[in-house]
Amino acid sequence: MSEQKKTVSIPTNLYDAIQERVEGTEFNSVEEYVTFVLEEVIKDDDEEETAFTAEDEEEVKKRLRALGYLD
Amino acid sequence: MPNSNVNYIVSGLERSGTSVMMQMLNTGGVKVVFDDSRPPDEHNPKGYFELAGGKIINQLMAGTFDFEPHQGKIVKVTAYGLKFLPEGNYRIVYMMRNIDEVLNSMRKMGADIDMEKDRVLFGKLNKFSFELIDKRDDMEYTTINYRDVIDDPGKELQKIGLFLGEPLDIESAVKAVDSKLYRNRATN
Repeated sequence: MSEQKKTVSIPTNLYDAIQERVEGTEFNSVEEYVTFVLEEVIKDDDEEETAFTAEDEEEVKKRLRALGYLD
Repeated sequence: MPNSNVNYIVSGLERSGTSVMMQMLNTGGVKVVFDDSRPPDEHNPKGYFELAGGKIINQLMAGTFDFEPHQGKIVKVTAYGLKFLPEGNYRIVYMMRNIDEVLNSMRKMGADIDMEKDRVLFGKLNKFSFELIDKRDDMEYTTINYRDVIDDPGKELQKIGLFLGEPLDIESAVKAVDSKLYRNRATN
């Protein structure tokens, strides 16, 4: 089954720069490279949103102290 | 008796049913470790079934908690404490409960809860716990849903017995479940 696609326009000079970068890599096209990079960006964002940060940890500790589970 | 080389843990967020689980296992004939330093109260009328007045996490953080005398027995270590468990051989029964029920129960116990923010916060803590367990080679876990325990305790106890490697006295353990104490049931 073929994957549905949408067209996104990028500046020509950016396209050229990506094409140059893609040459000699495992990527077969600019499109493949751009798709990979964007997928990584989206994935990182998702991970950031659900990551248990040091700030979250402090908030949890506050709640646990209030509940008597932590000094 | 479960394997004496294993550290058995009941975990999950605070107010997710960890005390009920400990109580069920206790009445089901499994050796459960607890002291009376935090007496039963209106929030847990049947007791907390925990060590160090619930502050085992402090001891784990300080590296002063000795698991040696408790091997082959069940110890309650709530979710945040898991990251401080020393190297060992752990089997963890992890309690899951509707997050709004958990937060409502925490609020009744006096915690300053912002439902919107804390739903995300404690969701992250659950996720963090599972990622931590997955990363560690010395931990195995099973999840048990609090509502399933209330609705069909026998079925859940069978599952736990298989996980612990010991058949439980299900008839006795079921008696520990008091559905009247399920006071923060979400409507969904």
